[in-house]
Amino acid sequence: MSRIPAKTDAFRAIADPTRRAILDRLRAGPANAGTLAADFRSSRPAVSRHLRVLREARLVVDTKVGRERLYEVNSVPLQSVAGWLEGYRAFWQASLMRLKRNLEEK
Amino acid sequence: MSEIKTHVRAVSDLVDGSVVASVEIARAPERIFQALASREIIDWWVNPGVFDTREWSGDVRVGGAWSASGMARGAPYTLVGEFLEVDPPRKLVQTWQMKGMPGAPSTVTYMLETIPGGTRLTVRHSGLAAPDQRANVGAGWRTSFEQLAEIMSTAKR
Repeated sequence: MSRIPAKTDAFRAIADPTRRAILDRLRAGPANAGTLAADFRSSRPAVSRHLRVLREARLVVDTKVGRERLYEVNSVPLQSVAGWLEGYRAFWQASLMRLKRNLEEK
Repeated sequence: MSEIKTHVRAVSDLVDGSVVASVEIARAPERIFQALASREIIDWWVNPGVFDTREWSGDVRVGGAWSASGMARGAPYTLVGEFLEVDPPRKLVQTWQMKGMPGAPSTVTYMLETIPGGTRLTVRHSGLAAPDQRANVGAGWRTSFEQLAEIMSTAKR
């Protein structure tokens, strides 16, 4: 339930449709910036900029292969994005159950 | 009135950062309202092993403060807030914030309605997104989260 610094905020990273498309593309398999730029008909600097945001949010991880960087999806921060509400959901679920039990027993 | 055999329903909405939960209880709304706005909270604001309320105090009137403390995963915490609406036995609205945490407080709204044999209590806990996330809430978000859900369901790690 702690606040995520803006620079690494997964929500901000996925707010952009191109970055969501890049994540979608990387789900199919790892790719380098050149391949992604060709796939999206974007300039390589534009793709690199998106990749940097995704990397800072830890939504993608890169591996150096020779002179290239290969990018792939890292699903862990996505799970934490979905998980920050789950604690509250579970809390209210358990609490209301207990309230019901307490009141109906007496 | 003894017992209503239904389960608690609790769902979260990632798009607007809220949780809605409801339960049907075989008691009058007045009795339930009392449990929402008194020290009785320590008997039920509990998610065993995760969140355990030990103390509660509150000045139950509009503008009055409340505070609750306990243990969450072995670490002490204090929740604080203010009552925004006090309308027994139908509605209670209060702000909710973890003491010492930055950002705007969230809001807990309890609604009580009479049903055959008892009361339906609905809790809506809203404003749970961090400020950076809230600033971005807009039309594009539903798409974001749908895609996110899809990415999550197919990612194999």
